[in-house]
Amino acid sequence: MRAWRQILAVAVLSAALAGCGSGTDGGGDNAAASAGPWTFTGGSGEVVKADKTPTRIIAHAGEAAALMSFGIKPVGIYADESVKTDPNLKNLDLSGIEILGEEWGKIDVEKAAALRPDLIVGDWWPAEKAHSGMEEGVDEKSKKLAELAPITGVSQGKSIVELAEGYESLAKSLGAKVDSPEIAANKKRFEDAVTAFKAAVAAKPGLSVAAMSPADDKVYVANPAYAPELLDLQSWGLDVLNPASPDPGFPYWENLSWENADKYQPDLILWDGRSYTPTANADWGRKQPTWFKIKAAKAGAAVAWPAFWLHTYGDFATEMGKLTDAVKAADPNVSS
Amino acid sequence: MRRAAALGPGLVALCAVLAVVAFLSVTLGSRDIGLSEVLHALRSWDDDGSISGTVTLELRVPRTLLGILVGAALGVAGVILQGVTRNPLADAGIMGINSGAAAFVVVAITVLGLRGVGVYVWFAFAGAIVALILVYAIASFGREGATPVKLALAGAAVTAGLASVTSGIVMTNVDALNELRFWQVGSLAGRYAPILTGVAPFLLLGLAASLGFGRALNGLALGEDVARGLGQHIGRTRVAAFAVVAVLAGAATAACGPIVFVGLVVPHLARFICGPDYRWILPYSMLLAPIVLLLADLLGRVAARPDEVQVGVVLGVVCAPAFVAIVRYARLSEV
Repeated sequence: MRAWRQILAVAVLSAALAGCGSGTDGGGDNAAASAGPWTFTGGSGEVVKADKTPTRIIAHAGEAAALMSFGIKPVGIYADESVKTDPNLKNLDLSGIEILGEEWGKIDVEKAAALRPDLIVGDWWPAEKAHSGMEEGVDEKSKKLAELAPITGVSQGKSIVELAEGYESLAKSLGAKVDSPEIAANKKRFEDAVTAFKAAVAAKPGLSVAAMSPADDKVYVANPAYAPELLDLQSWGLDVLNPASPDPGFPYWENLSWENADKYQPDLILWDGRSYTPTANADWGRKQPTWFKIKAAKAGAAVAWPAFWLHTYGDFATEMGKLTDAVKAADPNVSS
Repeated sequence: MRRAAALGPGLVALCAVLAVVAFLSVTLGSRDIGLSEVLHALRSWDDDGSISGTVTLELRVPRTLLGILVGAALGVAGVILQGVTRNPLADAGIMGINSGAAAFVVVAITVLGLRGVGVYVWFAFAGAIVALILVYAIASFGREGATPVKLALAGAAVTAGLASVTSGIVMTNVDALNELRFWQVGSLAGRYAPILTGVAPFLLLGLAASLGFGRALNGLALGEDVARGLGQHIGRTRVAAFAVVAVLAGAATAACGPIVFVGLVVPHLARFICGPDYRWILPYSMLLAPIVLLLADLLGRVAARPDEVQVGVVLGVVCAPAFVAIVRYARLSEV
């Protein structure tokens, strides 16, 4: 029984890899793509080469959203959660795109092989030295995705702006027309959002913020050095706290025991958007005796922080709008 | 006997040691609070709103009390299980208690969508008791009833069965895995007054009841035939002992997650000090276990400031070599 299944899998795989040449192309192929050799330098510094411009792309959630914002439609997407709730994907039309995974670390490689991909796109995570979907902890079986086609992606490095620009140039190399009016409008909206944000920050001298994520056993304080959107906010003048001693093994956060929850006293809390709800602050105040020892928490000064998911000018503009409102409403003297 | 004469004062000395350790557990921690501030908070016994007061009274005091009760419960449950099953490796883990509790917690997370330590307590408690009843019921099949060998085998089988259910669910649900991972380490962090007051009645009742088992366990240690000859109702003793263990280990695991080694190592330590008389082993374990647990917790709290290491991790790291040393260099009394 088991052997039979394996034979079947091998048969499907080899048929798919052989390409069959039966002219079933279409679907995700991008007509604008030009022939001829194609190269792209990914965030890891690795140069990916192909004889002709890739057209059958499998991409990770946010990366897919970024490519789609430039009109490049992937043939397959692997996400870390349901595509109906993924912040990057929930508002996009995904018809005709094969969903290869809706859970972190799980990718259906058999289905992916049947799509005959010629490029895999996933962010490069410098702290983990891996592309999205290839990190430590991902199923070994899922990692075989990387054997189907070359993998590339822009670095989750120092800035979401650079990330968005990186995907813009990747899309361009893949044949996208990046100067269409719709794309230009999103960029304009983003630039306006940055201008408004800078003005709001400048109007609140002395306002300090910290990005935090409370949990049952500890409080986590985000380290901007590994959170590009926080670095962007810093570069636009917002005083985002740099924790003194991030976890050496997982430098995204500094871990504080609940006894030390009040170690940092910001005026405004940027709350990990993955766990933020309108009642979260009150809930945690009730649950953890020391949460309200953070004066900003006691004052209810918290706003969702779009943690580790932004990829496009459009989404960043929308989130910046919310942050700008929060900065305008914040009291820079909460912590004093 | 000379030894027995020394054991009484020894018990008093252990009480004093436990008091000192408990005092340290309230005064030391991952946050640096001056002794005078701690004493002030303890004297006024009123949260004056200062962070020192809140940490002392709402974090450290419940944590320490919970550590004492849970430690004592695990130690005594280990003694009773080892005595009843005459198995020197018996503890809450081998009798299906941890895996039963974990399975129910996972069901609470996945099927019912519940979250938070305060909710898991009752599911873990129910799971522990269901697992123990299952083990006992399976072992009771057959003419000779729940013999030690059958109990050990049933425990291993139920543990394996429940563990496979848990990992089956967890493997397909990352969310459940992340929640369970935190619970499964075993920790005293993040447990406050509501959890303490929730499980304390069960633990106190179980601890009081457990002290009555000394004579019965002494009888069982001589072998079933001798015990029967001495007029013991073996079946009845086993049922009663399992009921007490279910309450003690169930409530302890529910409150803190599966805490390893305390229930296994402390009874051997007590037996090493007291000799084979369970009337002494029980109270000694009841005091030694919380001392070990609180010291391990304290180590985890001061070693990684401003972070903390879960007590389950510290116990694994510290207790495993200690257990090896005991086995290697001390002549362990037979169970």
